[in-house]
Amino acid sequence: MSDVAALAESLHPHEVKVAAALDASSDKNGLTDDDIAQHSSLEVAQTSAALGRLQVKGLVSILSEVPRQIVSLTDTGERYFQRYTPMVRIISALRATADTGAQLSIKDIQAREELDAAELSGAIGELRQEGVIRIAAGGLAELTGSSSATADALQKLIKYVHEGAKPLAEFTPAEQALIAKFAQKRGKPNEPFRVDERVVRRFGLTETGHAVARQAQKAGVREEVARLTPEMLKDGSWRSARFRRYTIGLSPARIPAGKKHPYREFLDLVKTKLTAMGFEEMRGGLVENEFWNMDALFMPQFHPARETHDVYFVKEPGHSAPIPEPFLTSVARAHENGGQTGSSGWHYTFDRMRTRRLVLRSQGTAVSARTLAAAPKVPGKYFSIARCFRYDQVDATHAPDFFQVEGIVLGQDINFRTLLGLLTLFAREVAQAQEIRFTPAYFPFTEPSVELHVRHPRLGWIELGGAGLFRPEVTHPLGIDVPVIAWGLGLDRMAMVALEIHDIRDLFSGDLEMIRSKRVQY
Amino acid sequence: MPTISVNRKDLDKLLGRRATDKELEAWLPFVKGEIKDYDTATGELRIELQDSNRPDLWCVEGIARQIRCKLDGKPGPSPYLKTGKRRHDQVLVGKGLEDVRPFIGACKARGYRVTEEGLAQLIQTQEKLADIFGRKRRTISIGLYRLAPITFPVTYALVAPGQVTFRPLGYDDAMNLREILEIHPKGQEYGPILSGQDRVPLLRDATGAVLSFPPIINSRDIGEVRAGDEGLFVEVTGTDLRMVMLAVNIFAANLHDRGATIEPVDIVYPYKTEMGRTVRVPQAFGRPRTITRAEIGKALGAELSLKEVRASLVSYGYAVTGNGQGLTVTLPSYRNDLMHPVDVIEDVAISRGYNTFGPIMPATFTVGGLSRIEQLSDKVRELMLGFGFQEIISNILGSREDLVAKMRLSTGHPAARCIEIDNVMSQSIECLRQWVLPSLLRVETASSRSFYPHLLFEVGEVAVPDPDTETGVRTEVRLSALLAHAGASFSETHSYLALLCYYLNKPADHLTPIEHPSFIEGRAARIELVGPGGTSSIGLIGELHPEVLERWQISMPCSMFELALDPLL
Repeated sequence: MSDVAALAESLHPHEVKVAAALDASSDKNGLTDDDIAQHSSLEVAQTSAALGRLQVKGLVSILSEVPRQIVSLTDTGERYFQRYTPMVRIISALRATADTGAQLSIKDIQAREELDAAELSGAIGELRQEGVIRIAAGGLAELTGSSSATADALQKLIKYVHEGAKPLAEFTPAEQALIAKFAQKRGKPNEPFRVDERVVRRFGLTETGHAVARQAQKAGVREEVARLTPEMLKDGSWRSARFRRYTIGLSPARIPAGKKHPYREFLDLVKTKLTAMGFEEMRGGLVENEFWNMDALFMPQFHPARETHDVYFVKEPGHSAPIPEPFLTSVARAHENGGQTGSSGWHYTFDRMRTRRLVLRSQGTAVSARTLAAAPKVPGKYFSIARCFRYDQVDATHAPDFFQVEGIVLGQDINFRTLLGLLTLFAREVAQAQEIRFTPAYFPFTEPSVELHVRHPRLGWIELGGAGLFRPEVTHPLGIDVPVIAWGLGLDRMAMVALEIHDIRDLFSGDLEMIRSKRVQY
Repeated sequence: MPTISVNRKDLDKLLGRRATDKELEAWLPFVKGEIKDYDTATGELRIELQDSNRPDLWCVEGIARQIRCKLDGKPGPSPYLKTGKRRHDQVLVGKGLEDVRPFIGACKARGYRVTEEGLAQLIQTQEKLADIFGRKRRTISIGLYRLAPITFPVTYALVAPGQVTFRPLGYDDAMNLREILEIHPKGQEYGPILSGQDRVPLLRDATGAVLSFPPIINSRDIGEVRAGDEGLFVEVTGTDLRMVMLAVNIFAANLHDRGATIEPVDIVYPYKTEMGRTVRVPQAFGRPRTITRAEIGKALGAELSLKEVRASLVSYGYAVTGNGQGLTVTLPSYRNDLMHPVDVIEDVAISRGYNTFGPIMPATFTVGGLSRIEQLSDKVRELMLGFGFQEIISNILGSREDLVAKMRLSTGHPAARCIEIDNVMSQSIECLRQWVLPSLLRVETASSRSFYPHLLFEVGEVAVPDPDTETGVRTEVRLSALLAHAGASFSETHSYLALLCYYLNKPADHLTPIEHPSFIEGRAARIELVGPGGTSSIGLIGELHPEVLERWQISMPCSMFELALDPLL
């Protein structure tokens, strides 16, 4: 069978009708889908589907694509049609009061006309610029006497478009400018007009297309079976049926699928690794008091990271229930003079009321602090993947809220070298890194403190995490008398590389197409 | 964590050798420093210093001193610490300051002609110390002066703000202190430190000439140091004596390192301080601490010989005495960060180099596991994925606009109650979400170009007010599901909910019709859990009200359910 014959045989009856309509047309510019629908007595949707398939088969091509802009009224526009534009209303309000000799302030106009602030200020600005009104002393508005060309023209246009959507090209350049000025756009949602772009496409048959169309018509629209049905199987009619041949090479339609969010998939992997390494999950609340978020971690109450520019405070309720004893007193003493911890403390008066002030959890270590106070297992390993909040300007490197992967390890055998061992394990298991490096670091609650750097296969040297041995000023007041490792992993950069994104905000992206298109990691 | 600018040549000069890039990289861990930026054309390095308890390292002199000490194996001399009986020039403190800004420290530096680079560094150190260590001048502020015009003794006393006038830095004309507080930019910025005071601190010399109005501004006549000046007077005032003393000690060490001869100043107080009524500055005021070799060995997991411990501490700047098991260690005068023996232990580790300690792999057996709520969350996620839903993960911070107004909730509606932030930075970040649904609508709004149907779900945390909890706020884990397509309906959504509840073996698909502003009338219900203790409401199901969709600019019918997971446990 020749290619043409094979193709002709593969055509769906709708495709044959569309091809025939195009073949019969003498218009060199081709036909629009509307034209074809008319000629072939198909629905427009059926025509479009058939045209799509014919294009894929190389039988139809698009001859021209002309974008056309259509002007219609928005809800605001309809309202302006019913009740007139703010400009017209301001002018008539001023005119009406001027007749009575009274004067109106901008506020009066707003109240009288029930305009919202944005509408009002826009319209006032427009009228002032045009010299129709001026604002006299005391914020009183008055008419200058000249009339507003803009207000009149705009009202006329609204009336005209109200009758039905119109192609933009039908308007005069001046009208087009006015429409553009008062059209809805990003950041200006409350304008009267909207301009939508529609593309008008004209289609024609390719050379093969003509041949196939004629071949298909010659063969006539034969009775072919599109699909096998249960009935045909039951009554055996399939035996005499002729099945339409499919074009196998077509790309399949996309189907919706149930899929993990790519960032969650990454976090699940981390979670699995940690439980496999013997870590038990801890949970905590999104809202914490300052005691567990900072005081218990030996961050002095004057620490710079505790100021209003670093932590989000909760408006209502402002404070938690009182901190339970003995923790409140033992922590207060550790801060003031070291208490029983062997420390000299920070030398200041500890404010016990402040411990109850509520904040949005700013570090996952708050969860660890609570675990320490709740009789943890010794030896024990714990982790949490906690949502944390920092008072930062949101940008490509700062998200309003983010996950911290943190935890603790308690045990008699814990020391600086086992801390380095744990970090080495993290480097291998979580980052698949062979090369690692430790540098001294500073955290208010650990001493010694370490930063873990790894050579990432794609990023080069990166900081993978921070860790240290909890200071005795942290553990002792919470009733822990064994050494404790506190560790945290900074995984966002690794996640971003894995997900191929460059803006940290995209970890929580709201773009479904992006989320759907991400491949899985394995 | 301050970041400072350092000139590479200046650093080399202070180090006494030309450091290669590799050397510098190897040495910076000694000061917990990290290079943020290096401009090879100008030689300017931007170095971030991590340790907020080591203000002595927030300057090129301090960085160089710590590294030099390591390279030389011992700290350099500090001849500026003079304990003798000989009297020195004085600063006399006036009465009443104990309630305003009680402490002052000062010293003189001679024999060093200020260079451009030296001046830039002096100013940078002054700013970093006053801003970060001194909490924006609240606890300490620092003044630098030309020494030549000053006649001793200097007085630090309270005056009425209207009484005295002088020419502040940055202005041509004399102003009185009240005018400075009101008009001068520094007065406006730092004036609040003195708010509520009838009388304010002033520093004058024996002739009555004003040095400065601490902690606000220096006099332009005496307190404007320029490159080329020789002879400096440094003064620190504040509310914490140890911090004041430490800051002067740091400046004394820095100027000494640049070749100056430091002359001490005696501060004479009319009231008692923990260091007496007459305090010599600079002064080594840190107390010695005792630490045993065993303590160090246990914490580091390494048996170090006495010689090794001693060498590591001395080469890190410590003075060490004693032998046998107990060592008495003292910090250099420009440090005051020894609170606990663990601080010494870290310095031993830093001095020896972290990478010289062999890691020991964890050997203790522990059983890992997830919390019950996480296990349930994972099960629910697995089911929803199997139902064909796309998982979403969203920010928890949001705006009342999204969480309340766009959902057609009135402010008084029980469902509108959410945890709000007191110190709001932007309107889009003002409260914690009290339900997950708006997060899914946000996705729907942004995703009309992605092919339909959209079946979305998120298992995530929300915060709801609950006076019965410790913090007054309950964190709940919720499942929210959103169906958006031309035929999205209550019944379809109900099918998924019922199937989920069937698999979870929870009779939670008992629905009670409710009226809720976010949903079409007659197409919303409360999801109830029937348990032995009675019936409790654990969620919502419904078709979203067209006005809600309009407010979100969604032009596709949407149906949803949202369910708290904790009650299912």
